[in-house]
Amino acid sequence: MSDFRFFDPHAHMTSRTTDDYERMSAAGVRGLIEPAFWLGQPRTNVGSFVDYFSSLVGWERFRASQFGIQHFCAIGLNSKEANDEGLAKDVFEILPRFALKEGVVAIGEIGYDEITEAEEKAYQWQLEFAREHDMVVMVHSPHRDKKRGIRRSLDVAKEIGIDMQKLIIDHNNEETVKDVLDAGAWSAFTIYPHTKMGSQRMVDLTKEYGAERFIVDSSCDWGVSDPLSVPKTAKMMIEQGVPEEDVRRATYQNAVDAYGQSGQIDFEALEAKPSIDQRQLFHDNSVLRGQEAQVSDEVPN
Amino acid sequence: MTTTANPPELARIDEWLRNALEGAPTSGRSGAQAATWSDGQVEAILETPLSPDRFSQVLSMASRYGPRGPLAPSERMVAAAEGLVPGWNPERWTALEALRVRLIVAQARSDAEGLPAAIEEAFRYADEGELCALYRSLQFLPGPERFVWQAQEGCRTNMKTVFEANGCDSAFPAAHFDDVAWRQLCIKMLFVEAPLWRVSGFDSRVDDELARMALDLAEERRSAGRRIYPELWMCLGTTADPRALEAIESELSGSDELSRKAAILALGRMGNTERLSEIERDGGSLFGQIAQWALMGRHAADAFASVSPPEGAEPSTFDSPSIDTPA
Repeated sequence: MSDFRFFDPHAHMTSRTTDDYERMSAAGVRGLIEPAFWLGQPRTNVGSFVDYFSSLVGWERFRASQFGIQHFCAIGLNSKEANDEGLAKDVFEILPRFALKEGVVAIGEIGYDEITEAEEKAYQWQLEFAREHDMVVMVHSPHRDKKRGIRRSLDVAKEIGIDMQKLIIDHNNEETVKDVLDAGAWSAFTIYPHTKMGSQRMVDLTKEYGAERFIVDSSCDWGVSDPLSVPKTAKMMIEQGVPEEDVRRATYQNAVDAYGQSGQIDFEALEAKPSIDQRQLFHDNSVLRGQEAQVSDEVPN
Repeated sequence: MTTTANPPELARIDEWLRNALEGAPTSGRSGAQAATWSDGQVEAILETPLSPDRFSQVLSMASRYGPRGPLAPSERMVAAAEGLVPGWNPERWTALEALRVRLIVAQARSDAEGLPAAIEEAFRYADEGELCALYRSLQFLPGPERFVWQAQEGCRTNMKTVFEANGCDSAFPAAHFDDVAWRQLCIKMLFVEAPLWRVSGFDSRVDDELARMALDLAEERRSAGRRIYPELWMCLGTTADPRALEAIESELSGSDELSRKAAILALGRMGNTERLSEIERDGGSLFGQIAQWALMGRHAADAFASVSPPEGAEPSTFDSPSIDTPA
C-alpha cells in the first residue's frame, strides 16, 4: 500500500479541521474536489452564496495547500436550496462569476433531493450552463426514491445534450450502479460510516463489476463521515484480493481522468510527490531557527 | 506619508508588461486543454472597454486561456520597472499575473472614472490568484487614494500568498498607507514570516513607534521562550536608545546565527561604529565580516535578505515554547 496515492473527488473540507487535512495527507491523499452544497440549514440570502463560493476558490484552497493537498472545487446550486426559487434566481445571477475560475473542475453538486419541479428547473438551468461552457457535471443523487431520481438525472442530462463522458453520478449503490454504467456515465460511490455505502459493500461491488468508470469518495462533511474513507476502502480492497490496478482506478485514476476533462488538473503536479520542506529554500541553511523546522521529505503514504 | 511625484504612465506600464510577457519562458500545462488566447485575441480584449461584470469575468478566464509559469523578467527589465515605478519589483511575478495586470491597466485606461467600481467588483468575486494580481496592480492605478482601503484590507488576509502580493515588491504601501496601517503591515510581515525586507520603501518609513512595537514584540517572544524573527531588528532604524541597545546586545550573546547577523546589521543602521569595530576585530570570520560590511554602509533593508525566511515557507505551525522544568 505504501506506494498508493489517492484522489478524493468529493470532500466538504470547509466543515473539517486541520487534523483531517493532516491525516489525509499522511494517508496519501494528493488531491480532492470540494463540491458546493448546502450548509446543513438553508441560506437566507445570495450574499451567503457569494462568500461560500469565494471561500471554495480562496481560503480553502490555500488551507489545503499548506498540507500538500491540491484542492479543486465544483460550483453549483444544490438541490435542497433549489426549492427556494427566489433565492435560486439570485444564485444563478452570480454563479457564472465563479464557475469559470481557475481550479473549478465541474458544475456540482447538482440534481434532485425531493424530485420537485423547482429542483428540476435548477438542474436543467445548470446543465445548460455546463453544456454551453463544455464543463464536467457532478450529480448528487437523492436519499429517498434514489433509483427513480438517478434515472431521471440521466434522462434530463441526455435531453439537454450533456456528453455522458462528462457526467458523474454520485452516491450510487448496488441498485443504481447498472443504470449509470449502461448510460455511459461515471458511477461514484460515497463511503459513509452508517449510511450510503460501506467499505465492504464497495469491495464486493468492485469484485462484481471491475473498476471501469467506478469512483470512490468520502463526501466527508459536517455529519458523521470519514475523510479517510478512500484510503481505508483501498486497503480493504487490496486485503480482499481486488487487483491493484482496479484499486488504483477506483481510488485515483478514474476521478482524475473524469474531472481532468475540465483542463484544470495538472496531472504531472498531482503525480509528483509533494514535499513540505521549509529548509529547502533557506538562504543560509547551516542554521535553522530556534524551533524545530517542520520538515518531511515527502508526504508519507 | 510620502507621495509619488507623478502618477505612472499607464501606456508605458502596458508596454513593459507586453514586452515581459513576450520574453517569458513558455511553459505549457500538461493535461490541460490546449486552448489559449492568441496575441490577437488578447489585444482585442484589451482594446474593448469592459463593463465591471465582464471585466471580472475576463480576469477569471485568463487562468483558463492565459500563460503559465514564472514571468522571469531579465535584469534589464527589472531595472526598467524600477525606473518606471520606483519600488515596483516584478522579479517574482507569474506570467498569468502580468497578463491580468495588463487587463487591469487596460481597464484603467479605457474608463478611469468607472475604475473604482470595476476594481471593487473584481475584488468581491476574486479567487486567490486574482487577488494576488489585483493587489499587485494597485501601484499603477490613477487616483491611488481611492484604493487605500482595499490595500489595507489586503493586510488583513489570512492567505500568505495574497498578503505578500499586497505588501511586498510594490510601491503602494509605503506611498499611501497611513501610519497605523503601515506599522501593522510591517509587524504582521514578521508574524507570518513573510519577507519584511521586500516591503518597498521600508527604510524611508521606519520611525520610533515602529521601533517600540518591534521591541515589545521581541520581549514577548523572549518571555515565551520563542525565537525572535531576525528581520525584527530592521525595525529599530536609527533609534539608538538604551532599550534598543540592550535588546541587540542580548541577541548578540545568543546562539542563533541569523539573529546575530541581523543584530549586527541593526547596529550599522544605528551608526554604532564603536561597537561594530569591536565585533569586526573579535567576531571571527563570520560575524567580523558582517560587521565590516555594516561599517561600510551595507545595512539597508535588502541586506536583511540573507536572514529572511525561505521563500514560499509557511509559518511554523508548531512553534511551541520551550518549557523549563521546575528544579
